[in-house]
Amino acid sequence: MLKKEQNDLLTQTGPGTAAGRLFRSYWMPALLAEELPGNDCPPVRVKLLSERLIAFRDTTGRYGLMDEFCAHRGVSLWFARNEECGLRCPYHGWKYDVTGQCLEVPSEPEASGFAKKITLKSYPLVERGGVLWTYMGDPATAPPLPEWEFITVPPAQTYTSKRFQESNWLQAMEGGIDSSHVSFLHRGDLNSDPLFKGAKGNQYNLNDARPVFEVVESPGGLYIGARRNAEDGKYYWRITQWVMPSFTMIAPRGNHSVHGHFWIPIDDETCWAWSFDYHPVRELTAAERSAMRDGKGIHVRVDTAYRPLANKDNDYLMDRAAQKAGRSFSGIEGIGMQDASLQESMGPIVDRTKENLVSTDNGIIMARHRLLKAVKALVDKGVTPPGVDVEHQKVRSAAIVLPPDQPFKEGAREAMIARPSVAPASV
Amino acid sequence: MFSESARMSSAAELRYRVQAPNSKTRATAIIALDAPSESFVRRLSRDHWNDATFLTTDASDTPIDLQADDGWLTTIADRRTRVRDVVDAADQVIMVAAAGGRAGAAEIIGRACSRKRVTTTALIVGAADASDADVSRTLAQLRPWSLMVVIANSDDYVTDMMTALRV
Repeated sequence: MLKKEQNDLLTQTGPGTAAGRLFRSYWMPALLAEELPGNDCPPVRVKLLSERLIAFRDTTGRYGLMDEFCAHRGVSLWFARNEECGLRCPYHGWKYDVTGQCLEVPSEPEASGFAKKITLKSYPLVERGGVLWTYMGDPATAPPLPEWEFITVPPAQTYTSKRFQESNWLQAMEGGIDSSHVSFLHRGDLNSDPLFKGAKGNQYNLNDARPVFEVVESPGGLYIGARRNAEDGKYYWRITQWVMPSFTMIAPRGNHSVHGHFWIPIDDETCWAWSFDYHPVRELTAAERSAMRDGKGIHVRVDTAYRPLANKDNDYLMDRAAQKAGRSFSGIEGIGMQDASLQESMGPIVDRTKENLVSTDNGIIMARHRLLKAVKALVDKGVTPPGVDVEHQKVRSAAIVLPPDQPFKEGAREAMIARPSVAPASV
Repeated sequence: MFSESARMSSAAELRYRVQAPNSKTRATAIIALDAPSESFVRRLSRDHWNDATFLTTDASDTPIDLQADDGWLTTIADRRTRVRDVVDAADQVIMVAAAGGRAGAAEIIGRACSRKRVTTTALIVGAADASDADVSRTLAQLRPWSLMVVIANSDDYVTDMMTALRV
């Protein structure tokens, strides 16, 4: 459980909030590059950390992310014309560049210099790995650009999707580090999903349904190890990475791609669930890309607004017959929506004063502990939180078989570091 | 027309969640396995907890008798008590060891917990200042007897964890 004030502190990320300041310390994924596909393409509404913004790509290819509303009369610039290196409000013709600087106020004499006095709040927007990243904190303390491996490998080796989730970011993220739910909620998917099936590690999973967990603090967050029995008294380890505030990476299976998530607050009651798959040393096959687009693995089929096709409005297409017949444990199709449906059912912000955690929830408890400490250190003393340092981002999850007396942090030390052209540790 | 899922997961509907308590207190034994963690567990015992018993393996720091099928623990009030009795009365057992500390008593406690199917959590604290070898040595003693092991950089995690578990 958390006290109400702790729950409020971690779940509120708008301007002026403590956790909002934490998120504003990082480069965050804001849009898929495909959402701004060409110069002078239509602008896109974006809400992040409870701020309404507009994203656009100007005539020369520069990206902009700024206050959605025209400084004149508050018109949404989603209606603007994207022309000649700026967004022009259709109401009275005020025009802004990618930095939010007003360039023209047609009703005022140019010589008056009035336009120079009008500036919309803006944030940098940078493309890396098919994702547009933004940093919404103090420009004076902007960290280096992100170095997550999934955005630094060649484009043919990586695939990223996003989906709208109707819950607070924290309950979504906590699902990503809650390794003990996999044996229940996702049972049945390991041997059928094209992005998981065939791996030897799956058999260890199925042979030992009672994994034992170890949680270890890492420089950027946590290593969460789940161990199961393997041959000759050895242990099969699946090691999840959590890097603050909301990056998780799940252990791979066989020669399948490596995958993980970001959970980014839209406001306090919704978030973007980002999902990536990549392989450090080979291109993704056409079949793999097709499966990812089709909502297999950790991805989800979405509409043009990135809302899942199975959503709360259609009861997530719950299939009670499949549930009863044992074809699906939860009755919901797909790993991503199995998670999202349950997390959304908790309500927009789950009341953590009512929960009853158990020992296997220590990953979640430790993540909250580290988040609360980081927020306090940032707010009280200005300490840069873990995960900002790009070295903390060069991580990998791992699946590995180790001798019984070896700490996984030692045995998988090399495997948990992202190294160019080095294959992932996977079973 | 909204579906039932859409209507029932709204913030407005959340106000109608039943407010009655949904759990009873779990009896928890918190056991310091070595001298460095003993002083920490003694400090911890001064806080307010719902149903917690704080114990040490031995005030004189002599190793618990691993040959015996049972052992002795000492309460914070210096009362000697059998491991078996402690475990019988507990819903969960939390063992605390310092990184590099002696955690051999985990075996006797773990065996008793296995017999009674009592959940064991082991915490290695002070890992930030310890060498990998020290952490490994302690971990090797705890791992066979713990359903969950946490290696924490600082001991303030134990307080947060106990609060989270409603101890």
